[in-house]
Amino acid sequence: MKKYILVARNMTIEIFTYRLNFAMWRARVVLNLLTTYFLWSSLIPSGRQFFGYSSSMMLTYILGSYFVSSFVLSTRSFGMGQDIIQGDLSNFLIRPLNYFGYWFAKDIGDKLMNIIFTICEFTIIVLILKPPFFLQQDPSLIFFSITAIFFGILIYFLFNILLASIGFWSQEVWAPRFIFAVLINFLAGNLFPLDILPKPIFVVFQALPFSYLIYFPVKVYLGKLGQQSILLGLSISITWIFILLFLVNFVWRKGLRDYAAYGK
Amino acid sequence: MANKYFKVWWLLTIKSAQTAFESRFGSIIFFLGKIIRIVLMLVFIIVVVSKTKQIAGYNIWQVIFFYATFNLIDTIPQLLMREVYRFRSYVITGDFDYFLIKPLSPLFRVMFGGADVLDSFVILIAIGLLIFSSSNIPGITATGVLLYILLILNTMLIAGAIHIAISALGIITTEVDSALWIYRDLTSMGRFPVEIYRDPVSFFITYVVPVGIMISFPAKAILGILSTTSFIAAFLVGGVLLVLSLYFWRYALSQYSSASS
Repeated sequence: MKKYILVARNMTIEIFTYRLNFAMWRARVVLNLLTTYFLWSSLIPSGRQFFGYSSSMMLTYILGSYFVSSFVLSTRSFGMGQDIIQGDLSNFLIRPLNYFGYWFAKDIGDKLMNIIFTICEFTIIVLILKPPFFLQQDPSLIFFSITAIFFGILIYFLFNILLASIGFWSQEVWAPRFIFAVLINFLAGNLFPLDILPKPIFVVFQALPFSYLIYFPVKVYLGKLGQQSILLGLSISITWIFILLFLVNFVWRKGLRDYAAYGK
Repeated sequence: MANKYFKVWWLLTIKSAQTAFESRFGSIIFFLGKIIRIVLMLVFIIVVVSKTKQIAGYNIWQVIFFYATFNLIDTIPQLLMREVYRFRSYVITGDFDYFLIKPLSPLFRVMFGGADVLDSFVILIAIGLLIFSSSNIPGITATGVLLYILLILNTMLIAGAIHIAISALGIITTEVDSALWIYRDLTSMGRFPVEIYRDPVSFFITYVVPVGIMISFPAKAILGILSTTSFIAAFLVGGVLLVLSLYFWRYALSQYSSASS
């Protein structure tokens, strides 16, 4: 366990080494938040409802999705694909280290830094914009929301392993990641709450794993879901985790059989 | 002279296209990703505006026109100035030396060293969207179209100036990628009419980082709601930014140390 803590710590140190790069990344995150925030604040005048959302609920959703995405979507595990296509994976296969554990620890370090910066940015944004923020008082909903975030982190990490596994068979690890990022931006509920979509589309999205990355945890926090819906959502998340675990196990084993350590 | 530069550009673009199509799988996926992004955003706009009837006073076709203009303006510099995205590696490896010793403007080589042909398809889609949405907007005149084209050309001037400044920054700090992405994120604030933003953000993205001038002004000109003062100011900003960026480029060249060559 100690070695994984060290990996996570090294990740935070690495981020501080490339401070300008990280600061620019955070600036990009804030810019995207501001675009979405202002769009929605112009769409819903205070005192009016929009798709069942009041202004404060919608703006809390947008700020909440920004917060949750720094937990769930911040990652370094895209480096796995590069390891495979450059043959660097070989270095890990001979070490007394779990390769996935290593990358998960790196992710934790990255998430930690992103969360710290998100809290600072969030405070500044709230002080400047003074948004009508909805504060959840119910501890059980906060607990369920945190559980949903944890499941979201696992789902996203497993997706990242699957995307990296493409490197076993193709040099093109970035193109599928690009399309995945495009899909995540919309299907996870980063830009808008998914339940504003027409019902048939929303039902399909609910069955997909993407909505459990951001939409579901934020929705639970807002208290817009009944206990049954929350338990159903958490069950679907767990089901997706098991499906993805099975797929990762299958693909990774097959990939390792085909792995030829090109580049080394 | 212009003929020589065009020939070089053409040769570099052919090479760049060959590289892009070397991996057809990757090219197709990237292209698909860009199409999906446009389609999903359109779906979002349609869903929202079908409920609100308007965004910041603009109806659905006008909002789509703004969005199509954004796509055009976002994609043309990517098509023409893709080499800037690769510039960092030339600086840190010292390969930029080779640009400097050739009988060709190094700035031209940095800016136009190979167009990204994949983006030409996205431009066609953006143009199609522009034509389709504008055909549903009443009152568009030939003058409006002419002003739109002039302002789009001015936007390309501004985009060029920003790319020159980013390249110059790359020589001094070796930091290009993040600056480019910040520029892209700032311009993406123009996906919607800038009226949705409140001050000071609205002022900032109209005049300080001229997203408003780049994207909203051309769209407003075709809709006939851009004032003459704003029209003239747009060209002034374009000219001033280009001159400043060229000064910055010259300064950056004087700082180049060829460290890694």
